[in-house]
Amino acid sequence: MSNVIQTPTLLAAAITTALLAGCAGQATSESTAAPAAEKSMAAAPMAMAGPAPLAPLGEPPIPPDNLQSPAKIELGKILFFDPRLGGDASTGCSTCHEPDQGWAWAEDFSRGYPGTVHWRNSQTIINSAYFPRQFWAGSASSNESQARGAARGGVAGNGEADIMEARLRVIPEYVERFREAFGTQWPIVRDAWRAIASFERTLVQRDTPLDKYLLGDKSALDADQLKGKEIFEGKGGCIQCHNGAITSDQDFHNIGIPPNKRWEEDGLAQITFRFEQYAKGQTQEGYRKAKSDWGFYYRSKNAWDKGKFRTAPLRYLKYTAPYMHNGVFYTLEEVVDFYDRGGFDEDGRTTLFPENKSSLIKPLGLTDDEKGALIAFLESMSGEEMLMDKPAMPEYAPLFTLAELEAAQEAK
Amino acid sequence: MGVRVKTGHTLLAAALGLGMAFGAQAGKYPDITSLPDLKINAAKAELGKRLFFDRRISGDAGIACSDCHKPENGYAHPDALSPGYPGNGHFRNSPSVINAVHKKVWMHDGRLGTNLNDVTREMLTEDYIMNMDMRVMQERAKQDPKYVQMFKDAGYGEPSNGSIRKAIPEYLKTLTSVNAPIDTGKMSASAKRGQKLFEGKAGCIQCHNGPLATDGKAYNTGVPENFDIFLDPMNHHAFIAFAMFQGIEDYMNLKRDPGYYNITMDAADTGRFVTPSLRELKYSAPYMHNGMIKSLYDVVGFYNRGGGKDSRKDSRLKPLKLGKQDIKDLVAFLESMSGDPLTSGQHVWKDPYPAEYPVIENWTQVKN
Repeated sequence: MSNVIQTPTLLAAAITTALLAGCAGQATSESTAAPAAEKSMAAAPMAMAGPAPLAPLGEPPIPPDNLQSPAKIELGKILFFDPRLGGDASTGCSTCHEPDQGWAWAEDFSRGYPGTVHWRNSQTIINSAYFPRQFWAGSASSNESQARGAARGGVAGNGEADIMEARLRVIPEYVERFREAFGTQWPIVRDAWRAIASFERTLVQRDTPLDKYLLGDKSALDADQLKGKEIFEGKGGCIQCHNGAITSDQDFHNIGIPPNKRWEEDGLAQITFRFEQYAKGQTQEGYRKAKSDWGFYYRSKNAWDKGKFRTAPLRYLKYTAPYMHNGVFYTLEEVVDFYDRGGFDEDGRTTLFPENKSSLIKPLGLTDDEKGALIAFLESMSGEEMLMDKPAMPEYAPLFTLAELEAAQEAK
Repeated sequence: MGVRVKTGHTLLAAALGLGMAFGAQAGKYPDITSLPDLKINAAKAELGKRLFFDRRISGDAGIACSDCHKPENGYAHPDALSPGYPGNGHFRNSPSVINAVHKKVWMHDGRLGTNLNDVTREMLTEDYIMNMDMRVMQERAKQDPKYVQMFKDAGYGEPSNGSIRKAIPEYLKTLTSVNAPIDTGKMSASAKRGQKLFEGKAGCIQCHNGPLATDGKAYNTGVPENFDIFLDPMNHHAFIAFAMFQGIEDYMNLKRDPGYYNITMDAADTGRFVTPSLRELKYSAPYMHNGMIKSLYDVVGFYNRGGGKDSRKDSRLKPLKLGKQDIKDLVAFLESMSGDPLTSGQHVWKDPYPAEYPVIENWTQVKN
């Protein structure tokens, strides 16, 4: 593996990958048929074992301290769509994770809080339940803490806990639902994140053509897709990082994504760019000179992590364009071309940290047919589009009657 | 006596003064003299002026300081309860910020007692007021070339949130009473009669004294609660957020504004609010911490009846037995403490703000 091991979590991930790789022999040995793939695979430092094979998606893990319940899931669903869980009551989860935009946002940067724009691409909620860490640099360790972080971030929800919790308490239906789901007298905002996470754990897709195929239905993938699978696992080398049931090794890599040009052209984006340097604890020097997203560096503060991002899952990607942490590619064709060029866009642009660029990223020499097949295979990782109607929002209501207030006044 | 001595000589002196009969109070209390002149840095104040009227220094760029402190309303707001940040309401009346620079204690419950830099920070960042992440604010200012120039001209270097919190107070120094009859001496006969009542029979001067006509202390005058705080969930949830943050127990069941109790957590202080300045009242109706009294006539009427109803009401509040003419004269005197409206370009930023943030050209080459 190209990554320096940072933390016990990563170490564990690496060990898991190595263990799972024991059963990966079949896929990799098949894929070595193509000479270019041989070269590509040989470049991987982890020569002792192949990556985890693609696998059908199982049930999502449920944390023991936040078990699922119908009341919690239903509450979480309403909260997910409620814009009042944000600073000015306009920006909730679904504002940047719209069901009809792939439970993401169909622009390069997520839309952000009013008066701002975000600086990273909004990721889909579908199958987020499987990820031990959330966000592009893995800064949240659960769906619960992701929800909390997003609701509070200055260019995301910009909500403070006090006001959001107070809001929930003057919505009688919420008071009732929180009591039923959590047994509290009044809603506690931390429980809102727990309910939302429970709801998100129901947003999984396990019946894609790929899952069906891997479960034994050999007709689930057509010939083109099967050819694409071969490239994915062989000549394309995709599986080196996009592996296992969740199609991600959960590790952080610099694959050469160039900075988003919007930072050169959009004043609002420039504001957020500097804010993020500031907010993420950059050094003074880093704040002054940063011209791209330093990614995993903000967490590790190690120079070799500049420009690294978590391997994105490929499931449901048919509905989640644009792609990459900064949304620079709007089509899968662009994505495949980028990898085929060895991590360069059509203008020859690449990461501002070429010294950290993964050695796994090399020109692939794919033919047009091969690219087409690969895209067909990528699309087999998405099933039907998962749409959902926005639930009715419960309304505010006074907690006291006029008579109660008058009696209190009388008693002063 | 309603006022308990807490700390320091000032309070002790005030408490001793309370025993005096109403008759001969002039001289026992500091006179309402003219406010001292201030040294103002013009470039810093000009920068503060642009900031004060700029909506981009609130979280969602929806409100400016001037949206709750409106020049045409004496830098207060005409609603009983301040509008608050978009997405919530508020639970207190927006006070005038004219002469705020001369105060020693701010907010109706007196919870801020340091300086206007802190007050500015509190207003900018409080979630139900401007909800501004000051790091975003700083970067917004740096994206506006006009600000970049103004910060430089003011000697602040590049825009920073720290300098913003200095520049706004510098601007507030320019918002002081101008040509108030009480300062110029050009008072009507009625106002002069009113002043006699104010210092004598009506006893106002016991609390409303000194250059700002306030002793800066908190009293319970029995102002009725504003039920809109609790009946409108938008206001109520701002109140809940405030009370929760202040650590007031049983905040979900509160049916009144606890006032100064917030500072001391002593039940005896429930319902006390800081004596407001009487300067510039002419423009800043409605009155009281919760805007429950609509006009100056009604305010005088309220005190003439001996204030409101509260078991902890200050014992000095008794029916005053003022006649109709007395009330008119008192109102005339109160109005004589208001000067010229501060609504011209000298005090108000009237230039438009850019609709969009311009791009920093050659971005990849320049330092952030």
